[in-house]
Amino acid sequence: MAVSLDRQRKVITGNAAAAYAAMLCRPDVVAAYPITPQSEVVEQLAKFHADGWLDCEYVTVEGENSAQNVVCAATMAGGRAFTATSSYGLVYMYDAMFNTAGYRAPVVMVNVNREPPGIHAVCAGQQDMISVRDTGWVQLVVENCQEILDTVIMAFRLAEDFEIQLPVMVNYDGYYLSFLAESVDIPGIAEVDRYLEVLKSQPRRPRLLPGQAVGCGSHGIGTGYVELRKKHMAAMERVKSKLEEIEEEFAAMFGRKYGGQIEEYRTDDAEILLVTSGSAVGTARTVIDAKRAEGINVGLVKLRLFRPFPRERLSEVLRGRKAIGVLDRSICFGWDCGPLYMEIRALTPEVGIVPMLSFIDGLANMDITKEHIGQMIDAIVSAAQKKSYRQVTWLP
Amino acid sequence: MAEARKRRPRVCDYYQNEDQFARGVALCAGCALELNLRFVSRVLGKDVILVGTPSCSAPVLHGQNTKAWHRHPYYACVMTGVASSATGLTRYYEKAGIEATVVCHTGDGCAMDVGFQTLSGAAERNEKMIYITYDNEGYMNTGIQQSSGTPYGAATTTTPLGQASRGKSTAAKNMPMIVAMHDVPYVATATLSHLEDYAKKLVKAKAAAKEGFAYIHVFCPCVPGWRIPSDASIQVCRVAVRTNYFPLWEKEQGVWRITYKVRDPQPLSELTRLVGKLRHLDEDEVARLQAQVDYRYRVLEALCAAFG
Repeated sequence: MAVSLDRQRKVITGNAAAAYAAMLCRPDVVAAYPITPQSEVVEQLAKFHADGWLDCEYVTVEGENSAQNVVCAATMAGGRAFTATSSYGLVYMYDAMFNTAGYRAPVVMVNVNREPPGIHAVCAGQQDMISVRDTGWVQLVVENCQEILDTVIMAFRLAEDFEIQLPVMVNYDGYYLSFLAESVDIPGIAEVDRYLEVLKSQPRRPRLLPGQAVGCGSHGIGTGYVELRKKHMAAMERVKSKLEEIEEEFAAMFGRKYGGQIEEYRTDDAEILLVTSGSAVGTARTVIDAKRAEGINVGLVKLRLFRPFPRERLSEVLRGRKAIGVLDRSICFGWDCGPLYMEIRALTPEVGIVPMLSFIDGLANMDITKEHIGQMIDAIVSAAQKKSYRQVTWLP
Repeated sequence: MAEARKRRPRVCDYYQNEDQFARGVALCAGCALELNLRFVSRVLGKDVILVGTPSCSAPVLHGQNTKAWHRHPYYACVMTGVASSATGLTRYYEKAGIEATVVCHTGDGCAMDVGFQTLSGAAERNEKMIYITYDNEGYMNTGIQQSSGTPYGAATTTTPLGQASRGKSTAAKNMPMIVAMHDVPYVATATLSHLEDYAKKLVKAKAAAKEGFAYIHVFCPCVPGWRIPSDASIQVCRVAVRTNYFPLWEKEQGVWRITYKVRDPQPLSELTRLVGKLRHLDEDEVARLQAQVDYRYRVLEALCAAFG
């Protein structure tokens, strides 16, 4: 592939979009291990590096656990670092992910959503990302190739912001987005430099350097632990407004925006809402339009920020509707429903008691079709009319 | 003519700086690990960055909240991630043009078991670092469980003696040999009874780490874990060398060499009677352990003869 660092429009895959974005942010260290469906990200970055476009230390690690430890340490020394993984790889770096988050190491990682180990599905599904939700990472979920590229660039701004200092994971559906080729507007590297430049004027966090009596990873005992946990939690909360702030700046420079924590689609007068995330959003928009044409007042909420959970904005948009449906591409053991659904149900005190329906679809590469989403909307309509409804529906 | 006679360097000649560790650190009386830490620090210099894990050395190295018991720059990480974390540091320093020596310092459990993959990976990639394993032949910090460094026959809390058990039933991994087979610039064994030998090896390792991966495997007895008197650690080290249980050797740029040749090796029973965890071994069991020791020594001798 001919490479240019000037602004260009190209038809590229979601994986290539992630690799381009990482390259444009000039990471000092890249470490990653291949896994389907992420491999192309690793290969693409290796090629950029081999061709001299990407001036970084590229570490061909022997596993994902090492990849995570390499990038964590590189950022603690003061560098910018990037890694990418999926599914088995993500859970293989689980201990190291806690470490990275606990150190407030501003790592940026792409996770290409795929079903986790057990029933060996080499298939799309968001269960991997759900399984690491309590590690203390910021998690974003995106919808298309352009949003992958833009969000990875924004992720570096977010992770390294002095008020945040947290690792950020950008999730996108394997297969549906990883291998989907779309026309993508790729910014020039000078523009990306300008977008990230503000980080240089911020106070610099302490770095681990030779000859200094500084440590990294002290035992936090008692109040020492609690203090760091509370600070971590507070930084998580700050992510919500910071994301919207840096997205405004992104929009001013690049002309694209995604709504920050959530994107609302035709919600203004909607009586019922469907909430979902990832590649299913595009299909859902089409169905919402069709249902609107039939006279059904339905709206769509796309969740972009999964951790921290956008409680406030979701409560605001969900309040006053007649019924709400939530579409999950994963399941929540022990609650017998979808995980996003479970979290949205926890907003009941703010939203009010209305029928809430959980839809589980798209597991293991099963297509979330227009027909399926049509059936979901019909079920939400019926529940809004106070008819009896099933709380959890597995499709097809 | 006394002044003209070349004086052999003593241990203190290798010291770069004052002891960087506080007095009264949280380690057991007679702990060989404490001596190892202070020694490595004094020979390699105070600027080296240490990387370690949860282990016996962690209370001292990690520190607690905002305080630590030493003045080294230090990076603590998960047990699975020592060599990989060190890679992250060295690669960034390389990119940023910062000169640094990064030293991984872990026990045998981390190096030989749970952190083995990442160590092997870093060695294969020839990452520029020193990796020091202090081998106390088991998980001592968690309560004396067996690791793949535990020798045949040793009694630990997970290979206890009982009606149906005589201790660990398999041999320890020959870890320094395994690392040597990665063909890295420098591999050596060392112990605390032979400090000049150890110091020379540390100096060589520091030079080698500018080019690639340097590994030192240190025999490091544990007073409570091995059930030895608190004044016996160094004696146990010496007997381990004299019985060829732990031969001192190095492999430098492909050249193998025994650095301390034992003229008349003592029988292994000299070691097993000293060490509580091995004292129960009967004649046949000692013979079996002796056969393992002899076999490994012959392999080492053959390599030294072929590539010396």
